[in-house]
Amino acid sequence: MGNIKIKVNLEGDVAKAKIMIKHDMLTYDQAAKKGAEANFITYLTGKVGDKVVYEISSSQFLSKNPLFKFSFPAAKGDELTITYTDLKGGTESDSKKVK
Amino acid sequence: MDRRKFLGLGLAAAALAPAALQAVDFRKEKPDAWKATTVDDAIKALYGDAKPTANSAITLKTPKVASNGGAIPVTIRTDIKAKTVSLFQDVNPESAVCTWTVPEGGVVDYSIKIKMKGSGKLTVVVEDTDGKLHSATNELEVALGGCEG
Repeated sequence: MGNIKIKVNLEGDVAKAKIMIKHDMLTYDQAAKKGAEANFITYLTGKVGDKVVYEISSSQFLSKNPLFKFSFPAAKGDELTITYTDLKGGTESDSKKVK
Repeated sequence: MDRRKFLGLGLAAAALAPAALQAVDFRKEKPDAWKATTVDDAIKALYGDAKPTANSAITLKTPKVASNGGAIPVTIRTDIKAKTVSLFQDVNPESAVCTWTVPEGGVVDYSIKIKMKGSGKLTVVVEDTDGKLHSATNELEVALGGCEG
């Protein structure tokens, strides 16, 4: 828990979001070397209410502790909810209000 | 409120609703694309036979020389009304890096950090709302490979 860090600031009518996630993002090759199981984030969404504002399907080649930056139209007080799923099926979710 | 206007609002809300259901997990939808070992194959698996054309309206920003291949910042921006945006590279074991689904009215201004095994070429493919493909490429040098083999 607490592995997702969200920063989201409003600039005019567009919010700039910065998402940092603590995740090993082990590729198949790295995992084979370490004798561990490959595990990486495969799917991540950002939602405001029911509306999807950010959606990414990813492979093993995102960096360790990946960083996502994006913009979306927003208003003050909107709550951004980030949810990710990894290869092993683990999910985590966190949310933050737009400042 | 005027009844007619009120109804109109209801219709507009109904029209917007399907956008929320657009969510696509490309790893489940197109599993082959993630196993493709060349950029061309990955694009084909993801988008079919359509060939992307180079478009200068896409900005793909990377450092010229990345000192750490384990975390290379990549920025993609475009004004094209995009439906999906995909990123590929040609040095890692598999080519596809990630695919964004752009929500309606969404801003394409994405930055992420990626891993690359060595110097190579990044390709970004933007699918616009008409289904046409646009692409941009960028070569970069990687001083220290980030995939550990």
